Amino acid sequence: MNKLKSAISYGCLTKIRPLVIFYLVEYGFFALIMAIVVLCTGNVEPNSSGAEMASAVFLSIMGALSFKEDFKAFLQNGFTRRYIFLSTFCSFFLVSAAMALIDTLLGNVLHHFIKHFTIFGTLYGYGNLFFNWLWLTCLYVTFCGIFYLAALVINKVGKTTSLLIGVGLAGVILLIAALFRFVFSSELVSRIAQFMSTAFGFMNDGTVNLVFPILTFIVIGAVFGLGSYALIRHTELK
Amino acid sequence: MGAIQIKGITKRYKDVIALDNVSVSFDFGKIYGLLGRNGAGKSTLINIISNRIFADRGEILIDGISAKETMAVHDKIFCMSETDLYDRDLKVMEHFKWTKRFYTDFDMNKALALSEKYHLDVNKRFKALSKGYQSIFKLIIALSLSVPYVIFDEPVLGLDANHRELFYSLLLKEFEEGERTFIIATHLIEEVSGIIEEVVLIDKGKVLLKESAENLLEKGYSISGSAAEVENYCVGRNVIGTEELGGLKIAYIMGEKAALPKESSLQFSAINLQKLFVKMTEKGA
Repeated sequence: MNKLKSAISYGCLTKIRPLVIFYLVEYGFFALIMAIVVLCTGNVEPNSSGAEMASAVFLSIMGALSFKEDFKAFLQNGFTRRYIFLSTFCSFFLVSAAMALIDTLLGNVLHHFIKHFTIFGTLYGYGNLFFNWLWLTCLYVTFCGIFYLAALVINKVGKTTSLLIGVGLAGVILLIAALFRFVFSSELVSRIAQFMSTAFGFMNDGTVNLVFPILTFIVIGAVFGLGSYALIRHTELK
Repeated sequence: MGAIQIKGITKRYKDVIALDNVSVSFDFGKIYGLLGRNGAGKSTLINIISNRIFADRGEILIDGISAKETMAVHDKIFCMSETDLYDRDLKVMEHFKWTKRFYTDFDMNKALALSEKYHLDVNKRFKALSKGYQSIFKLIIALSLSVPYVIFDEPVLGLDANHRELFYSLLLKEFEEGERTFIIATHLIEEVSGIIEEVVLIDKGKVLLKESAENLLEKGYSISGSAAEVENYCVGRNVIGTEELGGLKIAYIMGEKAALPKESSLQFSAINLQKLFVKMTEKGA
């Protein structure tokens, strides 16, 4: 258990430096752009949004790099793939939770003073800080999981096959869009849309259920997590 | 008594058989030289022992525990690899601290003392170190860990002669202070010939021999003289290689020396480990 704890600490603490640099750059740019807009337009309350997407991109890169770098470091230090997987996903959760906390607090504080909109606030409204944080944490972990799995797949099948898979995925997306547009009946499309809305917490009666999107992210995260575990168990050092 | 037991390990890469049904054991308390030419399968074997890659067939036991995906062997074995697996952005000191957290028996004071001996700046990031100092950093970690089995894969890569000498003397000191097993995979055979007790020779994915270095050097000899006389002497003997220059011939032989007739112009010479290695792997059997 101590070994697992130390591996989780490694996964988290080695990310502090890039994380601090990320926030300094992000909010430095944010302040600069705001200052330019205010000075140039005279608008003292300019709109801003999407800070969480920048965090999601950062975490996606971290997810991919976790495989590329931490996997090698853990193998060097004698950890098994099971321990590597567990520690990686625990550190994904902890880093995501910390970033979600920062983004939730800053997003809501900024929303209070200027016209700053958070993704959660835009979708579900402002005021529920706990669910905002939890929702964002789950979203971030899902991003980490997707890109971690992508890095594992690329490592497993190689660049050429990965590109072919990417082309195939794009084809599948186009196919699904075409199915919705030309093949499925309007009733089926409406049912699917209703299911998706419910999955993300928008109920038929117009109310919002904040537990559903959390559960949806947990299910998506579990699918990608299990996929990653199945792959990493057979992953060799290259 | 503990050992690393390798049982029937086979590893294939597409059409290439990197290891072919390899069975060998590394007993506790000895210094082994794991020798072989480039592509012979040394690194593949080391990577399988240290659970970095998987064998297609066979198993490896460390003190009776499977080496594959088992945390129970974590504090039993450490492998210093030729390839860089460490986070390149971390400082040397940070790496020492993490190793201390990962392993029960990492001696931080020893690591710092060795860093001073080697003039390794512990405040430098790994990526800022020269190739030689990256090797030194990895050596220091391996030497500061008190695990029973330590594997060195090309340990002196990029090190100058002074640093190499220092490493060999430190290794011997470590060995004297506490009984452990060191496995050294290297191309610099002559340099390690004075240290290693046992030689494991791998060629084309198979173990050619496992023997004590002393026995091997006792058994190996060369005989030189006129081609006809040398050929005559070699009949029925285990000739591992020959060289010819004009009418002169040298044969490298493994086995007992036979007494030469008084009028014979043949001459015996001792051969060193490197020559033995070259001749054995040239012949491939």
